[in-house]
Amino acid sequence: MAFSTVVSAAIHGLHVEMIHVEADVSNGLPMFHMVGYLSSEVKEASERVRTAIRNSDIQLPAKKMVINLAPATVRKRGASFDLPIALAVLASMGIFPEERLKETLVVGELSLDGRVQEVSGILPIVMKAKEEGCHACILPEQNVQEGALVEGIRILGVGHLREACQYLRGEQELEVPSGRIRNKVANSLDIELVDYSDIQGQEAVKRAAEVAVAGGHNLLMVGPPGSGKSMMAKRIPTILPPPSLEESMEITKIYSVLGMVDKEHPLITGRPFRSVHHTVTKAALIGGGMIPVPGEISLAHGGVLFLDELAEFQKPVLEVLRQPLEERQIRITRSHGNYVFPANFILASAMNPCPCGNYPNFEKCGCTPGQIQQYLGKISQPFLDRIDICVEAPKVSYEALSAGEKQESSAVIRSRVCKAREVQNERYIGTRILSNSMLGVKELKEYCHLGRREELLMRQAFVALGLTARTYHKILKVARTIADLELSEKIRECHLKEAIGYRTLDKKYWGR
Amino acid sequence: MMYEYWLASIHRLSDEKKRRLREEYGDGKAVYYIEEMQLRFLDYLKPEDVDAILNKRKGGEMALKENWERLQEQKIRFIPYFTKDYPLRLKDILNPPYALYVKGRLPEEELPAVAIVGARKCTPYGEEMALEYGEYLALSGVQIISGMARGIDGAGQRGALNGGGATYGILGCGVDICYPKDHIGLYMDMQVKGGVISEQIPGQPPLPMYFPARNRIISGLADAVLIIEAKERSGSLITADMALEQGREVYALPGPVTSSLSKGCHRLIRQGAGILISPEDLLSELGMGDKKFEQNSDKNQKVLESPENMVYSCLDLFPKGISQLIDETGLSVQEILERLITLELKGYIREVSKNYYIKVR
Repeated sequence: MAFSTVVSAAIHGLHVEMIHVEADVSNGLPMFHMVGYLSSEVKEASERVRTAIRNSDIQLPAKKMVINLAPATVRKRGASFDLPIALAVLASMGIFPEERLKETLVVGELSLDGRVQEVSGILPIVMKAKEEGCHACILPEQNVQEGALVEGIRILGVGHLREACQYLRGEQELEVPSGRIRNKVANSLDIELVDYSDIQGQEAVKRAAEVAVAGGHNLLMVGPPGSGKSMMAKRIPTILPPPSLEESMEITKIYSVLGMVDKEHPLITGRPFRSVHHTVTKAALIGGGMIPVPGEISLAHGGVLFLDELAEFQKPVLEVLRQPLEERQIRITRSHGNYVFPANFILASAMNPCPCGNYPNFEKCGCTPGQIQQYLGKISQPFLDRIDICVEAPKVSYEALSAGEKQESSAVIRSRVCKAREVQNERYIGTRILSNSMLGVKELKEYCHLGRREELLMRQAFVALGLTARTYHKILKVARTIADLELSEKIRECHLKEAIGYRTLDKKYWGR
Repeated sequence: MMYEYWLASIHRLSDEKKRRLREEYGDGKAVYYIEEMQLRFLDYLKPEDVDAILNKRKGGEMALKENWERLQEQKIRFIPYFTKDYPLRLKDILNPPYALYVKGRLPEEELPAVAIVGARKCTPYGEEMALEYGEYLALSGVQIISGMARGIDGAGQRGALNGGGATYGILGCGVDICYPKDHIGLYMDMQVKGGVISEQIPGQPPLPMYFPARNRIISGLADAVLIIEAKERSGSLITADMALEQGREVYALPGPVTSSLSKGCHRLIRQGAGILISPEDLLSELGMGDKKFEQNSDKNQKVLESPENMVYSCLDLFPKGISQLIDETGLSVQEILERLITLELKGYIREVSKNYYIKVR
């Protein structure tokens, strides 16, 4: 056999492309030639592959070897083609029968001594392999746990090129990971064991966070430095309903592509919390690169994206968030194609009320009205329009800190949130809406019907508080969520009033 | 008048020299036709003064006429010192402005006038008090004079307009310029209900050096000056000094002794300024405001339901946040918010910053 094919895969954004690695060994001038629109790290594979084969005690014949990675129109990047190239070459040399590789997907990087190194993006690759009808995957040993998350496909881990050869010659069986890995302990990302009961006081912010989570609303906390805004944000994932298995897989897929999953416990069962520093670039936030990789907003998919010091972010960086906040996904366009990454997250943000942070404490605040206006002006109106809930996070007094009263735990809040979500799921069954925050103007009429007294209250508020159409709609959405939290079918006056209290800051009235 | 306007608009020439030139030569036209040699000969004119005069003459009579007509088009009244329209109150002050430019009206001579001045950056307490004094005095037929600045000045004048009275803004720039820009509403309303006045020629942009000088006009046009809030070093204190020099009454509003924005006021009080206790009290002390009126100001008789009253009674003119209210009342977040919004909708309280509230009335 002078020709053989091995199935492998390449990752483009989050999309997996099946790649066929073809090798042909024939007579002619001795050479090792690779073609197929390769990036330089793939071209370098020729050195790694030849050395690794030699160090696995297999002599390469002095023949002409041509390797082609098909389809030739797809750009190939990364080092995950080392193992498939090596196996394709060995198969065409007749080291083992090619049939053994039939319907088997192979990925892995090789080191010079022949050991197989881990690669990223295993989960989406294995999922795709199963979809394409492969019945087995040969993966680096370290990636076996991650691959085993996919049911109904055999996962074979190899630690060395030699092991792979022995298996393919039928001399040795590879160990198939046993047991259902999904039942193993969760990888809950960076969230340490935090709980809402850790926070003393701050009832208003806690309540606002509960409402935000229950309806999937974006949240803005305004308060002086050191008032525990980040502490609060960090605990938001603990009151989110736990992700379903599909959601977990979806989240894990994104992390897998970026090589951010734990080897032992790859499945991410907690909701992500991503805190982004205000020096972040556009590309890091939404994803970027010539062939785009997901950014922070996709890493926060299914969880919480936290932007601290909102007013310090560069304006253009905040503006790029507008589209994903609306569409819950980000579409990145390159000349060679479109990439769509999921980005369904709750935006939690925090900012100071003025440059020094002490407004409206006039004893401490030395900012002029102009400075305050300018500070607030850094956040554009369209961006603010996408934030439904705004709340004050005051400085915590010593009394509140030392009170030591028993605080409500995350689990209690979460059970309320889950109930409210169930109500929403039931109501929006068969529509594209997932939570109250996604209600459009048309749907608001249908789902947020107001009684006469409530109507009157809103009319009064509209005039007295100088509301805009947008704030009006936001108040309705939030009131709907508050009603859902109380399992109330109708939106009542008290719900509306609470929602009015959460309306976003009005620049007109600020910093006079 | 065209020549008088020409003389008044020579920017670099001091008011005193303009006055002397005019006195010696009779009127503006005569000054316009003084030969250069003769100007140079006058010992009280420095060479740069003469250059300023010559420079202003360069355009010839055509330019002169054009400028004058533009002034008419802009409906700006030009009132030099020697005319009968010139306010009597200003005639006897030290260094009265050579000429005034007015959009709208000048204060009525026979009606009482009170100036309300104070810090630009003020607390909601100061703002509310300025509004209240402005409104009450205006209702009693007192004209309110101020500088249209941010903070106390603007609030006092807005209060006067709310009370349906006349208010006059003294600017530190040309009367055709609205400074600060966001007071455009006030600027327009004032021209209808009162006037905008400046000693600067139209088109003159606001410069820091003009503002202390315009304070003498503010106090000069008023019978009494109220200082609502002022820091220890403040422009409002300059106004108070001017007022004392001009023989006007000075009153200061006390505040908490801990508030840095009341320090200037307290100092004035120690130096002998009158204490503002209430607008009624002020009027009776000044013997102003014959137009007695009954203000239904008995605020405690308001019909508030008890739970709302509980939150309302916790609030004052110094902003309080929700968490503080929770501590004081023991109510839950939802209950507090519901009551706050009810009160806000009824107009009893106002949100000054996110979730910080003050009592309004």
